[in-house]
Amino acid sequence: MEKAIIVSNVTKKYKLYKGTKDRLLDLITPKSYGEDFFALAGVNFEAEKGDIIGFIGINGSGKSTLSNIIAGIVPETSGKVTVNGQSSLIAVSAGLKNELSGRENIELKLLMLGFNKKQIKELEPEIIEFAELEKFIDQPVKSYSSGMKSRLGFAISVNVDPDILIIDEALSVGDKAFAEKSLNKMKEFKQKGKTMIFVSHSLGQMKEFCEKILWLEFGMVKDFGTVEEVIPKYEDFLNQWKKMDNKERNEYREKGFERQKEILFQKS
Amino acid sequence: MKSAIQVLKEQFNHFYLVRRLSLYEIKSKNKNNYLGMLWEVLNPSIQILIYWFVFGALLGRAPVEIDGKEISFIYWLMAGFILWTFFFQSIIHGSKSIYTRLRMLSKMNFPMSIIPSYVIFSQFYVHLVMLGISIIVFQFAGYYINVYFVQLFYYIFAAVCLTFAISLITSTLSTMIRDVHLLLASVLRMMLYVSGVLWPLSILKEYPPIILTIIKLNPLYYLMEGYRISFFGSEWYLITHWQYTLYFWVVILVLFLIGATLHVKFRRHFIDYL
Repeated sequence: MEKAIIVSNVTKKYKLYKGTKDRLLDLITPKSYGEDFFALAGVNFEAEKGDIIGFIGINGSGKSTLSNIIAGIVPETSGKVTVNGQSSLIAVSAGLKNELSGRENIELKLLMLGFNKKQIKELEPEIIEFAELEKFIDQPVKSYSSGMKSRLGFAISVNVDPDILIIDEALSVGDKAFAEKSLNKMKEFKQKGKTMIFVSHSLGQMKEFCEKILWLEFGMVKDFGTVEEVIPKYEDFLNQWKKMDNKERNEYREKGFERQKEILFQKS
Repeated sequence: MKSAIQVLKEQFNHFYLVRRLSLYEIKSKNKNNYLGMLWEVLNPSIQILIYWFVFGALLGRAPVEIDGKEISFIYWLMAGFILWTFFFQSIIHGSKSIYTRLRMLSKMNFPMSIIPSYVIFSQFYVHLVMLGISIIVFQFAGYYINVYFVQLFYYIFAAVCLTFAISLITSTLSTMIRDVHLLLASVLRMMLYVSGVLWPLSILKEYPPIILTIIKLNPLYYLMEGYRISFFGSEWYLITHWQYTLYFWVVILVLFLIGATLHVKFRRHFIDYL
């Protein structure tokens, strides 16, 4: 099988500064100021072509960071990401211009994605139809409701026909009917054999749709396998996690970060 | 050097994109006001009138002499001020171009170096309209189109080069350090007074010549002179002052090399600075 995504040993470091003084000193002096925070530490995983992978994990485990890195929006600090094909990220904040109308936003977005005039003309009606905006399509986007905005963003990203689709919590907005329509579109993609990545907290959707699950914890891969293997383990963990009080959670977190340090130490 | 070639290549390969995006840029900026794009012309016109009123009418500025001809202060001011408006707007919008648009450009394979250029280009359309209006006004005022007008095309091109070279540097720096943009706004305010926009440098005659030389180091002054000579003069300024021309292009080249190097070095990490 051809590999669609290869993520090897990817680390993403953010710097936490106490104030502007630290930030400035870090920028102009060779010495390092501020505290390092690793959103991802030594993440490895591979996706075959046509895989549908769900990213799960509690808040702050690095799901969104990893999907942003795969989409090429955020650069990795170290490691290597290989993506075969064009990837498209769908997130709730789809990056629309508020002053422009829906139609102009479609054109602008397609232009930036590198489509020419003719292709844009062809794609436009499909997108408008899918977004169900009807007469609002020529109104400025700032007058849209949040559901309309995400529908438009979703419609654009889906209709440009990417090879790899990354969906970050985007299906949790919009009404049931639209969610169903999107899911059907996803299934269409699935049949076409496209690679998809799902980031969601809804385990129900994951079970229904994904084939493989990548479980992230503190920026590290905790488990990677089929839905049947990983989801029950994750559910068990969630039950435990819910029962823990704040002190226990902090202890657990500290243990996690210690493991992270070990991984990073081994690497260097 | 390598990054300079890369940036230039991106400009040429995506020129279509630059043109289209710059149109959207003007459109989205003027969507909210009733007069729309008319404001792009109204704004500088009103400013010219204000400066003319303050300097020309109240302070009684005398006509300016160019190549032995006397030019009324208002027309002299107009020729310089349209260039100034283009320069000011392009630099200000160019400097904040990257960090205000980065979120929207969700893809990395979008060539970042065309962001400042399409922002400049959107100002360039306005500049062309302003130039057109000025030329018509000059015809009525008796400064007719002659062979020296051809120089104007050269200076327009040079003005675009200058603003692009500067914007490449400032857009990168102000993405990383937001203060740069604020500093730039202050510096530009000062530039208005020392670039020969509002008063002719000939009134500095009694001061030591070193001051004049320092002012002339400013590449914008070269363009100011060039624009005015093209409208009113009777000489080929870029040839008669070939040392100054040479100096101007060396400055552009150095600025562009610095800008391209900075831009290519940091562009992958722009999103981390947001």
